[in-house]
Amino acid sequence: VPARQLKTLSSLALASSLFLAACSRDEITHFKVPKSGGPPAGAPMQPPPGMPPGMGAGQQAPPGMQGDVPPPPAPDRGMHWTLPKGWTEERTGGMRYATLKAPVQGKADGSVVVLPGPAGGELQNVNRWRGQIGLPPIDDAALAAARKVMASKAGKISFYDFTSEGHTKSRLLAGLLEAGGQTWFVKLTGDEAAVTAARPDFMKILESLHLD
Amino acid sequence: LTENARSIPAPLRAVWDVLTSLKLTIVCLAGLMVLVMACTLAQVNLGTWGAVAAYMRPWIVWWHLPASTIVLPVFPGGALIGAVLMVNLALTGLRYLEPKRRKYGLMLVHAGLVIFFVGEFISAIYQVDTRLAVEIGQTVNFVESPRENELTITDVSDPASDEVFGLPEQLLARADTIAVTGTPLTIKVRRYFQNAELTNRAPSDPPSMATIGVGTQVTVKELPPVSNDDHQNTVTAYVEPVAGGVSYGTWLVSNVLGSPQSFTHEGRTYTLAMKPRRWYLPYSVTLKEFRHEVYPGTDIPKNFASLVQLRDPGAKQDREVLIYMNQPLRYAGRTFYQASFGKQDTLSILQVVENPGWLMPYIACGLVTLGLLVHFGIALRRALRKRAALTEATT
Repeated sequence: VPARQLKTLSSLALASSLFLAACSRDEITHFKVPKSGGPPAGAPMQPPPGMPPGMGAGQQAPPGMQGDVPPPPAPDRGMHWTLPKGWTEERTGGMRYATLKAPVQGKADGSVVVLPGPAGGELQNVNRWRGQIGLPPIDDAALAAARKVMASKAGKISFYDFTSEGHTKSRLLAGLLEAGGQTWFVKLTGDEAAVTAARPDFMKILESLHLD
Repeated sequence: LTENARSIPAPLRAVWDVLTSLKLTIVCLAGLMVLVMACTLAQVNLGTWGAVAAYMRPWIVWWHLPASTIVLPVFPGGALIGAVLMVNLALTGLRYLEPKRRKYGLMLVHAGLVIFFVGEFISAIYQVDTRLAVEIGQTVNFVESPRENELTITDVSDPASDEVFGLPEQLLARADTIAVTGTPLTIKVRRYFQNAELTNRAPSDPPSMATIGVGTQVTVKELPPVSNDDHQNTVTAYVEPVAGGVSYGTWLVSNVLGSPQSFTHEGRTYTLAMKPRRWYLPYSVTLKEFRHEVYPGTDIPKNFASLVQLRDPGAKQDREVLIYMNQPLRYAGRTFYQASFGKQDTLSILQVVENPGWLMPYIACGLVTLGLLVHFGIALRRALRKRAALTEATT
């Protein structure tokens, strides 16, 4: 009987430690989710009116912090360009003025974005793009060296072309144009091979830019 | 048992005597009363969940010495008292309840109480409270935590599906470096704030810890965690993704920042965002109709009801379910209760509880009730027999 009592005690101790060991509340979760399922990633939950205590989604971001770029202004003047053969465009409105699709194999996302004023400055934007493909930030001198100035009907364009390191390289082409108190960004980013294939047509788009 | 206990060595016998002492039962019950009182009062400053976490869930209640970093143990926590009481009830049952028919009722009562405590431990460790907010016509296949957040890293490169990795904020709070299994990424946690205030950075502010993204324009001020249940923490962190020996810069992430921020490594694009902790379900819920009935001539709610379509292709389920007050949907280990609503009655909020021990309190109550009935029945039968024998002897 003493052995049974000791067994009871040790079983209880073991059960307690198993409970503690099984605690998995701070483990990393992993899910594969179809693109169409649920709201877009990062969509903030809005606390609906009438929601009871504790169910709200919390405070809102301070002005200008709804994402990695400020909220979109309504452009005073529209930007236009000539679309090369095979390319498609979608006027999305809002922060992203348009989305461009190149007829190439692989990933290559084109975008036209408009922001008010200098939009944080050229150096900051260039370093943000470089960071997105894993390149270190550069200073003003290196910025000037990387910049290629192009002419268009809409004005002078600062053009940048960066390629990342690594086995699968990413490439980023970006034209930056200040006009009418606004800054326009025309960007193509994706797999190096796809972006390289689309580069000649992308340069034609930049050259064809013109305002209303 | 008592005789056999004498064969146990003296030190163990002392432990045996203490653990099977009925005085210990009384001490534990008194301790629980003190804890319940202290926990109730502490809700003023800590909020409901904070008070439960400070008094009921831990093994020890700690006291932070004012104006210092010293923390002192002041009282046994709810977990410790509950565990001791559970062991005490089980062992006193073994020691005092002889396996005789007239004790069967009391044995059932003891077993019921032990199951009750075991159930509470299982709930404390395994219960997950989440919510599912769905608008009319919308289909939702995930539940979210109303209180906990996570750093979500999403590989958005695949055109058909996203790979979503969630790093819970508890992990960010205690880890310096987190390897994200399934990706080449390692996340270095530069700084974590359980609660903070974010403001646009003024020229006079010190430089931001963030080197990239919106964080470079933001000043973060640490705040004490919120205590009011109506408020939520602004969970904020500076994190640095590293992959293949390349740093992708230090980013600011916070649950009050909207759009996710992104970077590309080896041709794969990853987004970073701090969001409510989310679990995806292998089934979906579509809200077809929401009813909000009030008593005539008043705004006093009479009933809330959500008519949902439950679709689970894996289990071949595709059926309508009406969820209303006190009539939850129980499905695949989760219980969906009608909890709230919003957006002019077009949004329904379901509280979702996942608790593998949910049946145990019911079993425990059943056993205790049955035990009391059995014990009463046995006592009544004995009393009736005695009376009959007495009547027979006197006539």
